[in-house]
Amino acid sequence: MGGGGGGSDSVKLGFVLPFSGTYSFLGESIVNGVKLRLDQQLDGEIDGRTVEYVRQDTGADPSTGASITQEFLQSENVDFIVGPVSSAVAGAMKPEIAGTGSAIWLNANAGNYKLVQDNCTKYHFRTSFNTWQTSAPLASFVKNNVSDNVVLSYANYTFGQQSKNLFREEFESIGGTVVSEIGAPLGTSDYSSFLQEIENSGADAVFSFFAGSDAVNYIKQFSSFGLNETMTQTGSGFLLSADTLQAQGKAALGMYSLLHYTPTKQSDRNQEFVDAYSGQFDATPNVYACQGYDSGLAAEMAVKEAGGTDADTMVDSLSGKELDSPRGYFKFRSSTHDPIMDMDIRQVVEANEGVRNEVVETLSKVEGPTWGCSL
Amino acid sequence: MVFEGIAKTALLGFEMGMTLVLVTVGLTLIFGMMDVINFAHGSLYMLGAYFGLAVVGVTGNWWAALLVAPLLVGLLGGLIEYFSIRPLYGRNPLYHILLTFGFAIMLHGLVTEIWGGQVQNISTPAVLDGSVDLVLFSYPLFRLFVLGVSIAVTAALWLAIRQSDFGIVMRASAHDSEMVDALGTDVNRVFTAVFVLGAVLAGLAGVLLGTARAVDPGMAASVIIQAFAIVVIGGLGSYRGAVVGAFIVGMLNAFGPMFAPQFTDALLYLLMAAVLLVKPAGLFGNPEAT
Repeated sequence: MGGGGGGSDSVKLGFVLPFSGTYSFLGESIVNGVKLRLDQQLDGEIDGRTVEYVRQDTGADPSTGASITQEFLQSENVDFIVGPVSSAVAGAMKPEIAGTGSAIWLNANAGNYKLVQDNCTKYHFRTSFNTWQTSAPLASFVKNNVSDNVVLSYANYTFGQQSKNLFREEFESIGGTVVSEIGAPLGTSDYSSFLQEIENSGADAVFSFFAGSDAVNYIKQFSSFGLNETMTQTGSGFLLSADTLQAQGKAALGMYSLLHYTPTKQSDRNQEFVDAYSGQFDATPNVYACQGYDSGLAAEMAVKEAGGTDADTMVDSLSGKELDSPRGYFKFRSSTHDPIMDMDIRQVVEANEGVRNEVVETLSKVEGPTWGCSL
Repeated sequence: MVFEGIAKTALLGFEMGMTLVLVTVGLTLIFGMMDVINFAHGSLYMLGAYFGLAVVGVTGNWWAALLVAPLLVGLLGGLIEYFSIRPLYGRNPLYHILLTFGFAIMLHGLVTEIWGGQVQNISTPAVLDGSVDLVLFSYPLFRLFVLGVSIAVTAALWLAIRQSDFGIVMRASAHDSEMVDALGTDVNRVFTAVFVLGAVLAGLAGVLLGTARAVDPGMAASVIIQAFAIVVIGGLGSYRGAVVGAFIVGMLNAFGPMFAPQFTDALLYLLMAAVLLVKPAGLFGNPEAT
């Protein structure tokens, strides 16, 4: 067991992230964000303790994620687990972390609200978002500004289903009508026949969840079939995010989406972050980079406030605390350890080179349900 | 209204089917001739899209990409066949499966290393942008262009296999390569030519569909599954089978969401299972060949 790493003179972070496959770009962005805060801005030290890292590739496989987590907790003695990207991997990691209770889990992407609903654990802190936050709050904007009827279209897997269900509940509770819903298999490359069904629904607006290449394929085809002329496309922010928007280009013009981080957000804090990030990595930060950066901020705050790396003390020093996040207001909710945060409603507009998201409205301090969790 | 919807969906299905033909024909010809199950075929399709992206990046000309990218993929296919697949002819087919599977993994890694995992996009050439009014409904011009190219290539290839000298040698080699060899034709060169042809077609499909859709490293995996399903439905090694199989799967993809949007994926496998139960060698497969 060596010298019981995580001792008084070091802080150890274990990255449980995808570094290969479809989500490798997300994993790298999260690592970049963490390192921007801890290595560049803090010179690799928190409160006099040297920051160390270990990393292993989860791919998108839950059992790999669980076994890496176990190894990091038991032989590497990490103080923080950062990751994963996939909600399915997060589900497999949770019992390992809750059972061991020796490290803080900074969940830097997995949004599945059920992580909080089923046996929530105090060691889990979400530096990302939960599904409810990236879907339901858009409902009142759509109802008031776009249309009182929608058709739902979504990538047919857990996260897509959660997003459309949570939007639907909210939209119907404020008097909106969901005309119909159309799920497309994850990884569909030709959406034309699904688009035909969307058109047939006769709705005036669409709410969607798609991400990555699905989002690009869906949006490009939506516009090439002329649906953008008769319906207004809205959706979770992953539909139109920094990692897909350039590829979507002008096909995305005019569409609305909701997300907790927008690189073009006009604030001093964000501008400082964007400058630092693009100076270091020669790329514009995306939402994953921001989630990584906020994980770095959380690790820094936990160690400083706790005066060490004892997991239970660090839990108390993060719970209910605010972070100085580039995304805007951010506070770890005491009851769930999910963030209470500002959410941006953005519209895609033309920019010098292609298109960009412009913040239309910021919803402040969005909380959402606690799903019975009371930490 | 209902009629228009059905007509449009039928055209969608026809288009999806014909574009799938470009990918599956190479796969089936290579199997039919050489008994090689080429797992790297989807990766060659992906490379077509990435080479297209690169050529557009350098020249700014989409038509140059349409011409150059498939040839580059063909060249690479030829090198792969000559240096790695050829030495394994006549051995247990498992060697080819492992080898081409290895290539698929390597090419995925290479593409991610060079272009990154982020989704990219090839812009539609201005002259093919917009839509055409087809009386009952309007349809994107670029998709009609892709449909036209697919029909032309499929027909030309059909004629070539049926009518040309090379086609006769091809069919003969597929039937009995030792005899063709004994009659003085270098079968190895025929095999390389067929492999290059298959790679060129995959590359062409990559440029066309990469433009209509998105370019990302995951595109290889998503196409290869459909392509194998089509080849199994149509009958391994049968050109006619590949065309008919692709047509059926295209229609399934188009009409599936109308009746059972939740089960579109499952329908493909159900169809495959149904065909295999009735005709174990596929619709046009030769039972003695397997």
